[in-house]
Amino acid sequence: MAESKKIYTLIILTIVFLIALYLALFAGYKDSGIHLLFKSFDLSNDADSIILTVLRYPRVLKGFIAGSCLALAGLFMQAVSKNPLAEPYLTGVSSGAGLGIVISVIYFNSMNYSLFGFAGALISSAAVILFAGISRFSAAKMILTGLSVNLFASSLISLFILMHADKSHLIMFILSGGFNSGGLVPDKTLFAVFSAALAASCFVIPKLNFLRLDENMVPSFKKEVYLIIILSAFLTCLSVFAAGILGFIGIIAPQIAKKLVGNDYRYLFFANILIGGSFILFADYLSRTLVYPLQIPLGLVIAFIGAPVFVFFLTKKGDIFDRN
Amino acid sequence: MIEIKDLSFNFENTNFFENINLSLKESCINVIIGPNGAGKTTLIKLIAGILKPDCGVIKSGKKMFYLPQKITYTGAITLYEYLTSIFFRKNWKWHITKNEKQKIFEIMQKLEIYDKKDITVEKLSAGELQKANIALGLLSEAEIFLLDEPTSNMDLINQVKVLDIIKKLSKNGITSVVILHDLNLAAFYGDYFIGINQERKIFSAGKKDFLKSEILKKIYNIDFKILNDNGSYNVQIIK
Repeated sequence: MAESKKIYTLIILTIVFLIALYLALFAGYKDSGIHLLFKSFDLSNDADSIILTVLRYPRVLKGFIAGSCLALAGLFMQAVSKNPLAEPYLTGVSSGAGLGIVISVIYFNSMNYSLFGFAGALISSAAVILFAGISRFSAAKMILTGLSVNLFASSLISLFILMHADKSHLIMFILSGGFNSGGLVPDKTLFAVFSAALAASCFVIPKLNFLRLDENMVPSFKKEVYLIIILSAFLTCLSVFAAGILGFIGIIAPQIAKKLVGNDYRYLFFANILIGGSFILFADYLSRTLVYPLQIPLGLVIAFIGAPVFVFFLTKKGDIFDRN
Repeated sequence: MIEIKDLSFNFENTNFFENINLSLKESCINVIIGPNGAGKTTLIKLIAGILKPDCGVIKSGKKMFYLPQKITYTGAITLYEYLTSIFFRKNWKWHITKNEKQKIFEIMQKLEIYDKKDITVEKLSAGELQKANIALGLLSEAEIFLLDEPTSNMDLINQVKVLDIIKKLSKNGITSVVILHDLNLAAFYGDYFIGINQERKIFSAGKKDFLKSEILKKIYNIDFKILNDNGSYNVQIIK
């Protein structure tokens, strides 16, 4: 694929992202329009600008962070394991996070559940990566260890829910994925950590181009692969903190990006950030407006759009999934 | 020059190789022949440093490039992009410089794959892919090429084309160690020969001393008839 075509694709993806951003920020108002953005800067007590600054900005920021983190984490996982079906939750993040959230809702103040989810995700992925890497590291070993940890943690989740039937509805709602107040951690901190993780990704992204070569042919770098997996797990934990457990994006965003810009990781990096971000912002817009005034949990909306999109790509462009 | 001294290698608690001494010839095609399972690939992996010997030393002192027998290719990239991959080893390398691009194009022209540069890897033939891999070796600035059956799965024309390239490289000072199964091709292209038999006994000699029916019988355990017509050899099996 020619370089210019890839750049055009990235420009189109940016436009799509801006549309999703507009919808997520302004749609749903009686008085919607870009002028609200300017209004919100003159710190008046206008009700609309309060909705924007207090509710929408943080929500859009978190949506973008969650989407791009998941897409990037999926990209890393698929590149390192050389398996197009790899996804960010392979390191046991999802059920670790779920367990953290459940413990927080049942035993602690449920306001801070995302912090607990983040901690749970960190602990479980650290455990999986350590177990898989103690002797000789291999991606297959990591996937199987992750599977075991996932099974173990999800059985504990079921046990907790069964023991506390009164809170099961709230738990199910939170586990479906969605935004929250964030509790004690300010959004600025989240954004700073996210930026740091992106900067670290810039370091390893070109190396993934080198990993396209057969690992027996060139001296492989095990240490770097290990670092990439840790980074991928951390990005996934960040997404859990921002928007709970959201499936699907981590597996389909990298696939779609690969179809659009080819297999050059320098372009895939930006394409994944844009696709993952747009996907969540668009899903968030739908979750707010589809059954207005009710809000459908974000995770469910993503599955509703994600499944048909994925099946469409599988049937139409199925050949790309045979390779990676 | 690659010098192997008193090399021993154990595999699953048995002595795989014991006290091997070999010296390979520089700027030549060193051909390794022998039946399946004799340890040709193991020997080449030991030279490449992928396997570590239990005792003994392997001296080479030059940059090596190892081409395994079976290679998995990443899809959805063009031949040009495939070759650029080798340059992304260093940190913070976000783009291919003009120099590197020039180098890739030169090597592609030399190996006659320049007109395929925008074709995706999965659409290339086995011969073109193997040329691309040799190009990777040249781009990595290796001076010793270790090639494990580089002509497997190829028709005769492509086998000859690939071996011609290896021959040309050896004239430009690149040492290659090649595993081959076709004894006639080996006799045509090889300069120095290493034979391994099922008992892992190693025979090595130059072309004239190696291509003899008694040595080949020791390696393959069948009878051969060797015709020598002014230095061009023809190996036949006697039934």
